[in-house]
Amino acid sequence: MIDTLVQNSTQNVVSHSSNNIWMWVAIVECLIIVGLLLARRKNPPNQTAKQKFKEDAKNEQIDFQNIMESSFKSKSLYDELKVKCHPDRFTDATKNAIANSIFQEIAKNKTNYKKLLELKEEAQQKLGITF
Amino acid sequence: MFANTWNNILGWFRDRSERASIVRSFNASAREAFVVGIAPTLLKAKISRGNPAFHHQFSDWLNTGFRIQAFTGRVLSKEELMCIGEVILNDGALARRLVVLGWDTLEVHGDEGNYGCRWQLRDYVALGQ
Repeated sequence: MIDTLVQNSTQNVVSHSSNNIWMWVAIVECLIIVGLLLARRKNPPNQTAKQKFKEDAKNEQIDFQNIMESSFKSKSLYDELKVKCHPDRFTDATKNAIANSIFQEIAKNKTNYKKLLELKEEAQQKLGITF
Repeated sequence: MFANTWNNILGWFRDRSERASIVRSFNASAREAFVVGIAPTLLKAKISRGNPAFHHQFSDWLNTGFRIQAFTGRVLSKEELMCIGEVILNDGALARRLVVLGWDTLEVHGDEGNYGCRWQLRDYVALGQ
């Protein structure tokens, strides 16, 4: 009986000390993981130019409504604007310069309906054109 | 190396999801434009095979075409088809997004037959070497 008790208590001590070792192993592993995470946060992984281009492209906003409007309305608006805002229609030097810059913007954004509407507004205010 | 492979797998699934999302958003806007009366015909975007000759560094292995097809309404003229294509190509954000999501061909088709226009996307986006 006493022999058995002694044996049991020895086993308990052995298992207790082995638990203790594994606990320390887990703590060390935990510390290593935390250390690696902190290091990664300080020095984020280097992105290649390709990955950076991809990320930048994905973060840009796309205005689908403007695309739909541009597909069917931009051509007629562009045709109207390019006639009414042509610099040759303005003899005054100041207005001619303004018309010139607006005309260049119109040509640059001929398929962007939203931008063309903004330019139309600008032409109405600065050049006094009535549409 | 393991982390890199894992990131590639996750990235691939993320790209699939974004591709589907772009097509869905385009179709929703096209439907709304048709209902409101902005567009005289219903446009529908879908993924097609594309042209292997237009391959670029972001291209997928398969199905690299972004096809826009005109349904119902009236038949679109060649000028109108070209105008739709040019609007998409001149929208820098959309063209770049199409390229990085693996598309390399833009196709705009009419309702019937193979009549349509086709563009190489890499000509409209400045891609590094």
